[in-house]
Amino acid sequence: MKQKKFSLSNLSQYMVVISIVLVFLVFTILNPTFISAYSLQNLLVEVSPLILLAGGLSFIIFTGGIDLGSGAMVSATCVISGLYVSRFGNWIIPIMVVIGVLLGMLNGVIVTKLKIPSFIVTLCTQNLWAFIALYFCPNGSVAVGMEYRKEITWMTSKIAGIPIIFLFAVVVVILLYIFQQYTPSGRAIFAVGANIRSTRLAGVDTDKAQIMAFVVSGACSSLAGALYAYKQKSAVPTIGDALTLSAIASIALGGTSMAGGRGSVLRTTIGVITITAITSGLNMMGVDPLWKDIIIGVILIVAVYLNSDTKGRDIIVK
Amino acid sequence: MGEVLFETKGVGKTYGSNTVLHDIDMKIHSGEVIGLIGENGAGKSTLMKLISGVETPSMGEMFYMGKPYVATSIINANKQGIGMVFQEQSLVANLTVAQNIYLGREKKYSKAGLVNWAEMNKDAKKALERVDIKLEPGKKVRDIDMATREMVEIAKVLDVVTEAAEGHAIILLDEPTTVLSDDEIQEMYVQIRKMKAAGNGIVFISHHLDEILAITDTIYVFKDGEETAVFPTAEANIDVLYEKMVGRATTGEFYVEAQQSVPSDKVVLEVDDLSLFGVFNHISFKLHEGEVLGLAGLDGSGAEDVCNCLVGQVAPTEGRILIEGKEVRFGNSYQARKAGILSVPKDRRDEGMVSILSIEDNITISSWEHMKSKGLLSGKKIRQTALKWIKEAGIKCTGPKERISQLSGGNAQKVIFARVLESGCKVLILNHPTRGVDVGAKQEIYRLVREMTAAGHAIIVIGDTLDECLGLSSNVIVFRDGLISGSFDCPVDFKPSQQEVVHFMM
Repeated sequence: MKQKKFSLSNLSQYMVVISIVLVFLVFTILNPTFISAYSLQNLLVEVSPLILLAGGLSFIIFTGGIDLGSGAMVSATCVISGLYVSRFGNWIIPIMVVIGVLLGMLNGVIVTKLKIPSFIVTLCTQNLWAFIALYFCPNGSVAVGMEYRKEITWMTSKIAGIPIIFLFAVVVVILLYIFQQYTPSGRAIFAVGANIRSTRLAGVDTDKAQIMAFVVSGACSSLAGALYAYKQKSAVPTIGDALTLSAIASIALGGTSMAGGRGSVLRTTIGVITITAITSGLNMMGVDPLWKDIIIGVILIVAVYLNSDTKGRDIIVK
Repeated sequence: MGEVLFETKGVGKTYGSNTVLHDIDMKIHSGEVIGLIGENGAGKSTLMKLISGVETPSMGEMFYMGKPYVATSIINANKQGIGMVFQEQSLVANLTVAQNIYLGREKKYSKAGLVNWAEMNKDAKKALERVDIKLEPGKKVRDIDMATREMVEIAKVLDVVTEAAEGHAIILLDEPTTVLSDDEIQEMYVQIRKMKAAGNGIVFISHHLDEILAITDTIYVFKDGEETAVFPTAEANIDVLYEKMVGRATTGEFYVEAQQSVPSDKVVLEVDDLSLFGVFNHISFKLHEGEVLGLAGLDGSGAEDVCNCLVGQVAPTEGRILIEGKEVRFGNSYQARKAGILSVPKDRRDEGMVSILSIEDNITISSWEHMKSKGLLSGKKIRQTALKWIKEAGIKCTGPKERISQLSGGNAQKVIFARVLESGCKVLILNHPTRGVDVGAKQEIYRLVREMTAAGHAIIVIGDTLDECLGLSSNVIVFRDGLISGSFDCPVDFKPSQQEVVHFMM
């Protein structure tokens, strides 16, 4: 019994590495073009916005909370970026960061000050984001006007074969990692997820830590929305519909505990690459896209099952 | 007194390496009321849990009606004829009185899966009349007052056990009088005498010695999980009971008294007429630099609640808290820490340790803002701080990255001590600092306390035992029923005896 738990906990530690190797191996065997330069470049473009979204959302999950509305927030901000890039040009990117901070703060303040569980709060606020998306784009996607295209194509162009959008995501991940590892707020976020009561009694401002997690997540979701607008060259009001699921699955696959306290934004990044590789691999094989969300859902359940075995509870009971 | 109904032989209970109850021999006769007394943590409630089936003993044997007795659960014990009225009331507030009385026994009243409530209410009425209370059984428990709830609880237990063992049941009452007024206590006595007259055996726990002397036939005294005395109540004498409860004082050496500092005149913390409505009233005291101030009192006396106010967990309703002469107000422990007060919480596992984090994070969690270099947290500073404390406090571990949850109780507690010392807070509150810690680690913690005061910290301590409270403190304030009932100077070599102090606690 104990032996089994031990091996399972080891498995979840390396799950993300094992799975990414496995995924690339299987798809390359099934379809050798999977690993071609062209499809890898495509993959890097594809993963970038999701890396931001899942990277930011990781911090909420580190606190033991959840944001069910992060996908909807991507839709809203994608729409705003797509429509207003013509007016603000590339300033739209910092503007979206500010908007994301405010939206995240709204979630965080409601969660901490009114003491309402985050899943309830975000279940409700996501409707606000969905409303924004559909209010501005009631008739579906709106393409960015041709005369403004040249302003935004830099994002999807390449330096030394690497898409700039991916480099952009890498820079954000580095910033997130510094926040996670080298700031008091970043560390406090983990402490809150590990045991909020002890953390509070140790004199840590737990409200601030929780709000920071939502703020970081909000900023990242908004940036992800902007990146989608740049990538699709359109305002797409439905872009985020399936993204919450993909983001949470990536985080879980990375080995981050849904109960909070453990994990890393780096692991999430690898999780995102794995999940995206699976979906685009299936795509290349001509699998009906209807299956995509079901497969991601199954991955999420398996990943959470494996993770939960290593939760502190086992250690406490010992 | 009649035949022996229930007997324990060498019963004990251990949790891991911690023995909380040891070698208890008790005989409960038919028609006998046994009084059980002892300080908090003496093992009274543990014994009750073993008899009532909440826990199973780790050693020894129990006999009921001459046969070996094993109870796997409360319900199982009830079915055999043994029932307990719990210290914390166990009624479900949003169910009716009748539903509570027959909770888990609804089967009797159900046909084809539907419950005949009228029938149940009729029986409930009878059960209530047995303890002389007139109450509509259809009333929700949340709508009746605490004293009546207590009687409902007794009616419930009595109904269960008499059904199983009429005339030879065992009824355990764990502090049944705490919520009752004097008149209601008299009413309780009447009921106890009735149960007794019916031939049942009763165990009665109370912190009030006058109640014990008034109602019991035999008194058992517990201390530190051991049975220190048994008297027929007629021969008992209050002074002897006190002495047996507190036992012999430990030598001063154990508490490193040689290093006890003499407090300076500088007042660090002043509590001025502090009240928390319904919990404690008009508490005032001063805490000096280098002082260890002990707060003594039984559970519910208000001592711990004062500490909760001081660390920002609860806001006092009236009064002021001053630090170095300046009034401070705080709504949470973060602000309290900023004002200079931090605690070693009582419940190490749930309030102290941030369990799945590393030792270094647990040590530096209250001082991360001082661990920066060039605006970012320095992993090096954090590690060096952790290594310094691991060495200084003698924390046995594999390294600063080890999870705190892997450590033994004593070592984990030293980590928490390192945390409060590193925080730079002037006022430290130690709430049961040695709870569940082995003797060796205790001594090292006492040594740390002495070093703290030598370094100028001001300390408030709530001891795990009265002995510890007196041994560590330079002054002791005694709480009773939310008020300060006495205070003692405790200079080295002239400590008051526990008997003197315990008088003010009860």
